[in-house]
Amino acid sequence: MTDRDTILKTTDLTKRFGALTANDEISLAVERGEIRGIIGPNGSGKTTFFNTVTGFYEPDGGTVHFDGEEVTGWEPHRLARRGLGRTFQIVSPFKNMTVRQNMLAVQTDDGRSREEKRDRVGEILEFLEIDHIADNEARGMSGGQQKLLELGRVLMLDPDVVMLDEPAAGVNPALESRIMDHIHELNDDGTTFVVIEHDMHVMKTLADTVSVFDSGRHIAQGDFEEVSQDEAVREAYLGGTTAEDDEVPV
Amino acid sequence: MSASAPVIGRLPGDQRYWFAAIAVLLLAWPFLFGSFWARIGLGALMWIGLAQSWNMIGGYAGYLDFGHGAYFGIGGFAAGIAMVQFGYPFVVGFALAIVVAAVLAYLVAVPTLRLTGAYFAIATWALAESLKQAALILEITGGTFGLSLPRSPDTFIGIAVPFAISETFFYYVMLVLCTATMLLTYYLFERHEFGYRVKALRDDQDAAESLGIDTTRVKRQVYVLSCVVAATFGSVYAWYIVFIHPNDVLAPIITDRMVIMALLGGLGTLTGPIFGGLLVFLLQRLSSVFLGSSTFYLPLIGVLIMVTVLFAPSGIIGILRGEVGRDDVRKNLKELGEKFDLL
Repeated sequence: MTDRDTILKTTDLTKRFGALTANDEISLAVERGEIRGIIGPNGSGKTTFFNTVTGFYEPDGGTVHFDGEEVTGWEPHRLARRGLGRTFQIVSPFKNMTVRQNMLAVQTDDGRSREEKRDRVGEILEFLEIDHIADNEARGMSGGQQKLLELGRVLMLDPDVVMLDEPAAGVNPALESRIMDHIHELNDDGTTFVVIEHDMHVMKTLADTVSVFDSGRHIAQGDFEEVSQDEAVREAYLGGTTAEDDEVPV
Repeated sequence: MSASAPVIGRLPGDQRYWFAAIAVLLLAWPFLFGSFWARIGLGALMWIGLAQSWNMIGGYAGYLDFGHGAYFGIGGFAAGIAMVQFGYPFVVGFALAIVVAAVLAYLVAVPTLRLTGAYFAIATWALAESLKQAALILEITGGTFGLSLPRSPDTFIGIAVPFAISETFFYYVMLVLCTATMLLTYYLFERHEFGYRVKALRDDQDAAESLGIDTTRVKRQVYVLSCVVAATFGSVYAWYIVFIHPNDVLAPIITDRMVIMALLGGLGTLTGPIFGGLLVFLLQRLSSVFLGSSTFYLPLIGVLIMVTVLFAPSGIIGILRGEVGRDDVRKNLKELGEKFDLL
């Protein structure tokens, strides 16, 4: 990765909820143009990490740098306009609006005219292959289409980094494959991704590098094969089993 | 067709005829039916406009504002004080009503819009009640004696005011104000991206923030706008009615009526407040005229609210859309709860 630079970096990022330390001094650097996977058992602090990085939670310690600028504690909308997009674990389309209106609701600082913005909506919907339902109400969409709409809305920000929280959850295999293809295509065009995903088959094919969280700590990092052989990762997933044929459940 | 095309230009053929027929009827109303019905008409227009003003913050943004009626009273007193205490013409009072309502609404918005659901409702209700109590003890508002406004002259810089200062005159003033409110609502909340952002924060505030929407700013803008609209109607009402008292123009029933009208008509819709406003206002007036009691309609309204919430949570608009099946009701009821952050 000699020609890459760091686009998103956290240093000792800490978030506590009372006595619970959900993120414990997490230091992590994402290179520009990579797809970074984040895995870990339930409750390991993955979504808290997303929420703290994207400004939904105020960190109790540490810093967040994005594209060379310290953005610790920035409000979510400000970070989004700066180019850090995200989706949520539970999809949340604006149900009482059409697909097109969902896209037009996105606010940017790029000075696009109304017409340019509408053209961009058309391009993205066509790219995601949901342009045929552009004027349908979002409430009538299938779960998979809602995932695509959510991705489409984020793309309206023209983000440098997109953080996806379980993009394949609850999606049928055909649509899952489509979503993965879109992610690869966008990544080829230069968009950096940070992806939380429980489906290890997806993670194996998608991520360049995988970070593993356990009990709020960042315990391992490497390519999928490396981390699946890591002792600390096995411990986190399998509770200390050391049998040679055990690996991270895929 | 461009996004800024006039409203009527977007309507299909049949609807254009209906639109034109209604416009002609509204314009000719006082001449067709006389001054009594002109008074009924101006009242209906005022309440439709007020219901729409509440619908902006309550329906489109999903904030249950139980203090909204206070801005109707503030508009009335701002205009009244400008005219009585300082001797300015109504136009200055009208402008003052807008400024005072906007400043106060902004000051109120900063702390209260951090609250949601029932907490916001309680905070705004308390604000309205405290304003009423303040108006009852302040000298500038006339205290418990109220404020008598001067009746405006029938000429303005030597030119006769059309229809003089009569029911007909005020009917047309209300018609202009109500039409302006409807057009503003249509443009801002149904056609403009601003409206999409308002609906977005109502449906999911976190998702809206993640999409670059400064939800705090948008909420404040909607709240200030809705309060200013209510204040404009209050100022015209004070000019028309000539005498205002805190117990009348700052009464909680004013907010209650706005809420009921918007709820019965259909929350967060352009035409819901028209249907709801007409229904509630006419029920009140008819019970007053034909049954001799201006409160007889209240139990009926209570029944209507129960029926609406149980069987047609999306109001008259929902019924017209055919959303009355069991699944529709269940879904709409859930959305109603989510809208106000009560679930």
